[in-house]
This record gives sequence, structure tokens and C-alpha cells, in this order.
Amino acid sequence: MKKSLLLSLFVAAIIMSGCSKKSVELEAPGTQEGAQQVSEVNEGEGIRAVGGMEEGMSEEEKLRRMKAIEAEAKKIYFDFDKYNIRPDQEPRVDYDARLFNREDAKEFKIKVEGNCDEWGTDEYNYALGLKRAKSVKEALAARGVDPNRMSIISYGESNPVCTEHTKECWAKNRRVEFELMP
Amino acid sequence: MRKLLLSLFLFFPLFASDLTLEIVKDVGNRPKIAIEDGSSGIDPKLSAKFFKLLVGDLEVTAHFDVNDTRNMAQFEEPLSITRYRLADYLLRYQLFYDDFGKLNVRARCFDLRSQEPILDKIYRISQKERYPFLAHKIIYDLNKALRFEDVSFLKSFVIFSKYTKPKHADIYISDYTLTYQKRVVSGGLNLFPKWANEEQTAFYYTAMEDRPTLYRVDIYKGTRSKITSSEGMLVCSDVSQDGSKLLLTMAPDAQPDIYIYDLLTKKARRVTRYGGIDVNGNFVENESKVVFVSDRLGYPTIFAKRIGSRAVERVVYHGRNNNSCSAHGDYVVYSSRETDNAFGKNVFNLYLTSTTSDYIRRLTANGVNIFPRFSKDGETILFIKEIGRQTGLGVIRLKYNKTYIYPLYTGKIQSIDW
Repeated sequence: MKKSLLLSLFVAAIIMSGCSKKSVELEAPGTQEGAQQVSEVNEGEGIRAVGGMEEGMSEEEKLRRMKAIEAEAKKIYFDFDKYNIRPDQEPRVDYDARLFNREDAKEFKIKVEGNCDEWGTDEYNYALGLKRAKSVKEALAARGVDPNRMSIISYGESNPVCTEHTKECWAKNRRVEFELMP
Repeated sequence: MRKLLLSLFLFFPLFASDLTLEIVKDVGNRPKIAIEDGSSGIDPKLSAKFFKLLVGDLEVTAHFDVNDTRNMAQFEEPLSITRYRLADYLLRYQLFYDDFGKLNVRARCFDLRSQEPILDKIYRISQKERYPFLAHKIIYDLNKALRFEDVSFLKSFVIFSKYTKPKHADIYISDYTLTYQKRVVSGGLNLFPKWANEEQTAFYYTAMEDRPTLYRVDIYKGTRSKITSSEGMLVCSDVSQDGSKLLLTMAPDAQPDIYIYDLLTKKARRVTRYGGIDVNGNFVENESKVVFVSDRLGYPTIFAKRIGSRAVERVVYHGRNNNSCSAHGDYVVYSSRETDNAFGKNVFNLYLTSTTSDYIRRLTANGVNIFPRFSKDGETILFIKEIGRQTGLGVIRLKYNKTYIYPLYTGKIQSIDW
């Protein structure tokens, strides 16, 4: 049984290979290639989607909108060596919460960035920046901003907005600011 | 130029307030040494810098009373005893390029009493830029030949991160004077470099990517491997003696705490649990305890915790703001802010204390003194000093009550390890 099956497979293989060789020979000359007609297939071309803001808006447009919202956000300032939100900064947090909850802002993720002045040393300053970012994240969450949209990072003293050695300058650097991400 | 020379070897007498640290040698007892430069056909700037490095190295050993006059001489000329009547030793050297274009230095040191050479060697280096290591090696060898206490710290590499622009910092490897610098990590914000082993063949650092990520770099293979990452912040603040465990500050829930990370199992174990700030962990007492900076009292100061226990003990009972520390054995050096001025200049001094005694010693007297780091043998401390707009590199020789300050022109240093 097994033997006859093998034999028939062998014969079939010879026939098949013979056939393919034959068809190659038939097509080989190729003298009539230029005379062949090419048909354009137009079916399915030009179909457009309707509705769906997301797909309609280009990436560039989205990025521009994101940056515009980011620029609108208010920075939150802190006291020397402190990471609790000062009473005078509460209205600014309220403003940011309203901004981030706006319909056109809701799709963006928010990176909450903590920063410090130059008065601190290495690791502690980075931790201080992180605690400032955490305070702001929690304050925004308490005002209805989805915590899952927010991530936090500390830049310590590495990202000053002002580099003069003055009290006004140091106060400007003790801040939390935001970066939006798609 | 004069300013530079003046500030180069400026030293501050320290406070010998505690006699538990033995004062080995007094200034009057140190042997006097003079130096002769016999170089010819060498760039005068290089030659002058090399001389300064030799003087600095001799000074910082604290074993010599150095005459810093640059005496010129022919290398092979006979010794002039009368010229150096007050000196005990004469170090004569000659910088030259060999036939292969490599920088060489021939160094010979004489005992002026016996007129016998103590050291007679030729040193060579393949890249001219690394010339500081030639000077450090000569003084290391001379110190060894005279059987003075070990000064291996002269040959140590320093690794540091330097801010280049907002959110950008590069990592450099340098000699201990920061004269030779080679950039090893660039692009983005690269922070907190820490040597991975005593041999200084690898280091850890944090790259501030989407999430802060800890990498290990092998400096001779030029390879980089990822260790771990954490949300918020991630810093390697200490490495165990055998190199198998790291003390990390991580903030997985935006809460900075100290963890021990086992490199074999790749698992992190939490050491501190506190809702405020716990950072800057350092092993002490044979790695049974960790000292760290915490704001448990409402301001940062130094605490210790036995690994695996719940109790936390206060290490420092002095100062209103002690926000950085480094440890060696049972000793802890910390930076303390002496003033609490949000709107003006602040003074940060360095103090030395121990987890096993009430011993406390002030190491600096003025300016902003930060990033204290022990040498491998724990007898020397490297730190950064800022006075006004000037920045300096400080070296404290603990046993000798001596501090040496070198001017620095490197920009703002983020973190440093030795």
C-alpha cells in the first residue's frame, strides 16, 4: 500500500514537472509582449471617509492645538524648600484644571514637570521637584483631571527659566509646569 | 595669571576640634622639595601646566613642603647643592616627544643630602591630552619610593555630570584635578554618574528618557546596558563593596524612597517607607545599615536605618538643613546649609560625623561646599566649592587637617563621583 502510494507520487511528480517545463517553453519567445493591452482598474479609487474629527485633522494641526493649550497653562510657584501648594497658587491650579478638562484638551496626556532653584544639592533637589509635581498632580486630580492622563517627572535644577542670581529669578525657577503629549 | 596662581594652592587651615583623628605630620616636619624643569622643544603652555600639576600633586599629598618656584635646568647637568640649600629633595624632569610622537617625561628625584637618586624613570603616554596622568603617576611613584602613606587617590578617575543647556547634561571622566576631561555620554539629560566598581572600569548613570532609566556603561568596551527604570526619579547613590547591590532612590508611585537593587535577581527591595522625601542612601557599618537624607523633621537631615528593621535613627543633631551625604565605613560626610536665606546668599559647610560615635567635625569654613565624596581609602574627601561666582575643586586630607582648592572652569556640575 505504502509502496504503491510512493510510486504514484513519483509518477505524478514527473508528469507535473514535464507540464511546467512545457508551459515555460510556450511563453519563452515573448515576441507579442508589446501588443498586450493593459487595463486600468479604477474600482475602489477615491473613496473618502466622512465624520470623525480625529481622522480629519492632520497630525500637524493636532500638534499645533496641543502646543496652544500648553502655552495657555499657568505655572505653579512654590516657596523656598517647600512642596505644598501655596494659597495664592490655588486659583492657578483651578485654571489649569479647567483648561485640561476642556473638550479640545481631553485627548492629550499631561506631563507634570517639577523644577527647583539652584539652592539645593543634587539628589534632594530632584526629589523636591518630584514632590512639587506630585502635589500639583494630586491637586489637579482633586479638581477632576483624570490621574491616568498625568505622569510626573522632576528636572531638579536642570531646567531654569531664569539664570540670574537674584531672588526674583530663584522664585521663578521654583515651579511646576506642564508638557502635553499626544 | 597671578590670580590663578594665587587661588591654585590656597589652602584653608581646618579645625582640629576633635583629637580622635590623629594629626600625623605637622607643616614644620614635612621634607622640603624643589623642582627643576629641564624640558626643551615643548609647547611653553603645556610645560607650564605640567609644572603646576606637579606642584599641586606634591602639595595635596600633604607629605611635602613644596617650593613652587619653577627652576630651569639642563636635565643632565650636575646637581647644584648650594642652589637648594634649604631643600631635602630635588625633583628634576624633562618633557620630550619620542620618535613616535608620543609625549614622554623623564623624572629623577634626588635626596640632596646623600645626592643619591630616589626615583629615576621615563614615563610615556600615547595621547598628549592625557598629560595630567603623567604628573600624577610621577608623584604617586615618588611618594611610594619615599615610603610615605599611600596616595592612590592621585591616580583615581573622577566622573561627573555637567549641565550644558536646560534639560541637557553630559557625563565626563577626568583626572582628580578635572584638568583632563573626556566626554563619555552626551545628548539629553544624563545624571548622577556613579562608579560601578573599585577598579573604575564601569559606571551607572540615569538617563532622563520618558521614564528615568538607569544604565551601566563599561568604559573600555564602550557598551551600555539597561538596569531598570522608574517613574518620577531614579538615582544610583551607592554600590556595595562586591558590586552586586545598588542603593537606588526610586519613585514608582511618585514617592521618593530608598531601595536595594540586587543585580543578580534583578529585584528591588524597599528600605524606607515615608510619605515625604527619602534620598541619597549610602551603605555604612559593613552594609548592615543605610544612611540617607530625609525631611522627616520638616527639613532635610541625615538618618540611618538597619536594613530589614523598621526603626529609623537620627544621625545628625546639628544644622537646619543637611541635604546631601556620602559615607565610608562608619564615617559620614554631609553638606549643611548654615543660613536659611531664601533671598540671598547661603553658606553650605561640610561636616564629618560617624554612625558609631557622637564625633562631629567641621571641614570647611565658608562658601557653598557641596558634593562631598570619599576616596577609596576614606582618608581624602573631594568636593565642589563655590565662593561668589568662582567655582573650585576641593580636596580635604582628613589626617593632615588640610584643604586644597583648585580653580574650576567646567560650568555647572550636576553630580560627581570619585
